[in-house]
Amino acid sequence: MKDFRELETEIKKASDKFTNIESINEFRIKFLGKKGIISLEMKGLASLSGDERKQHAEKLNKIKDTVLEIIASKTEELNSEELEKKLNSETLDITLSTSKSYGTIHPISQVIEEVITIFGDLNFFVAEGPEVETDYNNFTALNTSEHHPARQMHDTFYVETETDGMPNVLRTHTSPVQIRSMLKQKPPIRLIAPGKTFRCDNDQTHSPMFHQVEGLVIDQESNMSHLKGCLEIFLKTFFETDKLNMRFRPSHFPFTEPSAEVDIGYTKKGNQIIIGEGEDWLEILGCGMVHPNVLENVNINSNEYQGYAFGMGIERLAMLKYGISDLRTFFDSDLRWNKHYGFSPLNIPSIIGDLS
Amino acid sequence: MRFSYSWLTEHLKTNANFEEIEKKLTSIGLEVEDIQDTGKAYQDFIVGQVLEEKKHPNADKLKLCKVDIGKEKVDVVCGAPNVEKGMKVVYAPVGSTIPVNQMKIKAAKIRGVESYGMMCSEYELGISNEHDGIIRLEEKETIGRSFSEIYGLNDIVIEIGITPNRQDCLGVKGIARDLASAGMGELLERKISGEKGSFKSPIKIEIQDNKICSAFAGRYFRNVKNTESPEWLKNKLKSIGLRPISALVDITNFVMYDENRPLHVYDADKIDGKIIVRSANDGESFLALDEKDYHLKNGMCVIADEKKVLGLGGIMGGESTGCSTETKNVLLESALFDEINTAKTGRNLSILSDARYRFERGIDPNSTLKGIDLATQLILEICGGECSEVELAGNIKENKNEVSTSSGYISRRLGFEVSDKELISILSSLGIETSQTGDVIKCLIPSWRQDIHGEADISEEVIRIKGYENIPTSNIRLKSKINKNILNYAQKKLMKARHFIASIEYDELVTFSFTDSKNCEVFGDINKLKIVNPISEDLDILRPNLLPNLLQAIKKNKNRNFDSFSIFEIGSQYRSTSPEDQLNVACGIKSGIKTEKSWKNIQTEFDIYDVKQDLTSLIDYLMPGNKKISVSNDCPSWYHPGRSGSIKINNSVIAGYFGELHPRVASQFKIKNKINIFELYLDELPNTEKKTTNKPVLNLSDFQIVTRDFAFVIDKKVKSEEIVTSAFKVDKELIRNVEIFDLFEDDNLGKDKKSIAIKVTLQSNEKTLAENDISEISSKIIESVEKSTSGTVRS
Repeated sequence: MKDFRELETEIKKASDKFTNIESINEFRIKFLGKKGIISLEMKGLASLSGDERKQHAEKLNKIKDTVLEIIASKTEELNSEELEKKLNSETLDITLSTSKSYGTIHPISQVIEEVITIFGDLNFFVAEGPEVETDYNNFTALNTSEHHPARQMHDTFYVETETDGMPNVLRTHTSPVQIRSMLKQKPPIRLIAPGKTFRCDNDQTHSPMFHQVEGLVIDQESNMSHLKGCLEIFLKTFFETDKLNMRFRPSHFPFTEPSAEVDIGYTKKGNQIIIGEGEDWLEILGCGMVHPNVLENVNINSNEYQGYAFGMGIERLAMLKYGISDLRTFFDSDLRWNKHYGFSPLNIPSIIGDLS
Repeated sequence: MRFSYSWLTEHLKTNANFEEIEKKLTSIGLEVEDIQDTGKAYQDFIVGQVLEEKKHPNADKLKLCKVDIGKEKVDVVCGAPNVEKGMKVVYAPVGSTIPVNQMKIKAAKIRGVESYGMMCSEYELGISNEHDGIIRLEEKETIGRSFSEIYGLNDIVIEIGITPNRQDCLGVKGIARDLASAGMGELLERKISGEKGSFKSPIKIEIQDNKICSAFAGRYFRNVKNTESPEWLKNKLKSIGLRPISALVDITNFVMYDENRPLHVYDADKIDGKIIVRSANDGESFLALDEKDYHLKNGMCVIADEKKVLGLGGIMGGESTGCSTETKNVLLESALFDEINTAKTGRNLSILSDARYRFERGIDPNSTLKGIDLATQLILEICGGECSEVELAGNIKENKNEVSTSSGYISRRLGFEVSDKELISILSSLGIETSQTGDVIKCLIPSWRQDIHGEADISEEVIRIKGYENIPTSNIRLKSKINKNILNYAQKKLMKARHFIASIEYDELVTFSFTDSKNCEVFGDINKLKIVNPISEDLDILRPNLLPNLLQAIKKNKNRNFDSFSIFEIGSQYRSTSPEDQLNVACGIKSGIKTEKSWKNIQTEFDIYDVKQDLTSLIDYLMPGNKKISVSNDCPSWYHPGRSGSIKINNSVIAGYFGELHPRVASQFKIKNKINIFELYLDELPNTEKKTTNKPVLNLSDFQIVTRDFAFVIDKKVKSEEIVTSAFKVDKELIRNVEIFDLFEDDNLGKDKKSIAIKVTLQSNEKTLAENDISEISSKIIESVEKSTSGTVRS
């Protein structure tokens, strides 16, 4: 019976000398090539017979498997060594960078979208009206007759066009949208109307153009307690706080009765204003129950229907929430300001995600 | 409205402390805007007496004084020229703060001599502009007495905001009345002697137009002495920031601020004949007490005599009959002028006065005679003389407003149960008399409340007195929706456009809706856009386009060292100042450096292809799905004619433009950079609101994709887009894409020629394309392109 020990030793010896893929190849040819040692031995099996052939074949197959195993493992080993070497030489300076920049969304737009998101969740739809308004829609229909003292508090811009013999105005508030909407739609009504407003006033704390959002709810039961509930949800959601001191106090607007101004609590830490709790109050909005005269002016029966309205300044909301100190900077187009206070375009206000 | 706490307590008997009053004022709608505790500010200042006065050894103008301040005697260095031995002075001790400059007094060496404290002038104490010398107090003043007591400054001054409806609180008494209604004490009635008068007034009164003045009461006083007012009256007026003038004028001011009753005094000797209340004649003019000449118009209410205009009713008196210290005989006026007419006249003449402010908000008719009585008592007391009987022309309306309501209505409006009993009790605390029949409660409104007309007003009174803090909070979430959509299609489009544009590197700006008409002729008809009363000359029209303000923003930021601009605005621009002539537009500008020179990039600049791509991809985002976008040269005149294009959608509407700003416009705005612009007229985009959530069917082919490149030489004038369209139309099924990948211009190509290379992608849904299929379609492509562009293929 042939002893293959010599062959095994030879294989062992040869396999220790691998330095690269070529030497593995040579090894494979030497043992497994057409004229390789194992192949020749395999051929020789034919001359044997019976048990001897069977035993030899078994032995040779085992040796062949060993050789294949050696080739596979050594190839893997050399490949990883090679890769390792390559990786070591392929280094980049990761401190270098290029930049990808996004533009920014103006804080006014951001805050308007936040307001829409919150009220949208409460099923208020977004109504609109033009920025040039008729005197009737801006004042008279809102229970502010021509000589009402409240008119003088609005420094109104006038334009040269007229409607029904009265000069048109740049709307001094978003309230005329109430009138336009109520003429179009019968109750129940739930709407907000964000937009640009104008007053002939220009100093540290006034801008001739600014933004407001108006809210209006008309149905058969909405009352002062709903108004309070509505504003409480809004203000807590908007300022992203669970604790919010809120104070209603009497005020006067010709188009609401009773009228109220709403203050929210705050504390000052250094230069920062923290909205929520505290001894001090900040005026944030005006509101009230819609005056029956306003409903009658738009042909809604004030004995059957009632409701509330509110209005607030977008800039004021933005300043308080985002710590912007000067009203006039909003419209200054200083790109340093826009890049600092602006918002990412991917940052779309959401009730389920983040509001801001 | 300013008043002092001590003045308030003349009308209000209360156990409440100041803090409670302050809180209550705000909670009943009289918002406290400012509080000045003058007692506190002056608490350290006391009376002292100069015992010795000698020259400072090292300074000519300074004096060394020894001052007795009661508990001790101190050395004070003083620079006042009027200081002298024996003089009673106001002494500010070490540690006190000088009101005018908030300087804290310290013990200090002045030119080598120790000084403890200071002697003060009125200016330093912030009570007048008198700073020529220190205050000389009366001889009789007690050393050590508090200075604020002497000057009546031991008080708190409160400033409240009065909303236009609360005319009743434009006098201190009204404020006290409202506080009393709200449970803060008891309203005190002033005792007025009610002098009847001993003779008939020699000056008769005639009202010619009772629409503009319904009543005019006059009283004649003879032999009065118009002196300086007594201290108490002067201090009272000073405490609320009014300058004392003379007793007669001070008395009318006092009555106005106390009782909310405007009065006027005429020097009766300067009146010719009788008083006539009438409408002014056109062209009449009149010199008012503010020393200005006013030209009057028919309809304005004037008080005249038989020769001249004496005053503007309810607004301002005139110079001609003004009272001086010489005045001997006077006529006192208390009248009722029409609210609207007063407002109109005041506005037309731009006169702001305390009287106008009150009359246009409505005056309690019952104050007409009460005001006369109070002023009479004070005039007789201070100025002496004798008074006539009251001469009354016209009628004082006595009937009260009537409003019917019910506790049901009030409860429904306020959102909580108010019982009949509570309602009636609140109303009666306000002086509203009630009578109940079944559920209906009839309210008689007192004459001082001119603002209560209807049930809604009653509901406000109730909650005001009960306290807004008692309104409960109710849930407003709905069981079923009222509104199907929160935003409509146009609003969503606007919001989407904003986020998309910002995502492609533009910063959003919000600029004024106004702009400067100069340089704007090119953008629209500036004559149709004028603002009648602009805030400034350079913001005199509504903007015809978003560009002017954005160009100004570029110029401003260029000065701030920016050299790359990607800015946009979405907003309204106007065709005219009619309400319907407002359009929604998105306008973006890219200008300057696109990529900075760096270790990785070479420097590149923005060009029109950047804004074109932004515009078309924006349209694609806003209008997904099939549409045909075509480009042509017809752009508005603010664009460079050769470097701009308009974008048409589905061959119908022009939805937007892109291109370079016309160099002439750029130079008008003093901008040197190339400005690349896109404008998208959002209202013009066809409505493509989704009707189904399904996406179109997708057919995918697994057969091999083949690409072939072609280059054509065509005339420079021919648009490259032509090549793409004519290649595409050869086989709509097999040709999946055609893309231009090269543009080459060279004289070797021929004069005014360019070479355009395209890559055509081919794929079949049925088979792998064989070489002959490909060459067949290739030659069709070449044929089609050559034909439509008159060009030749390059081989």
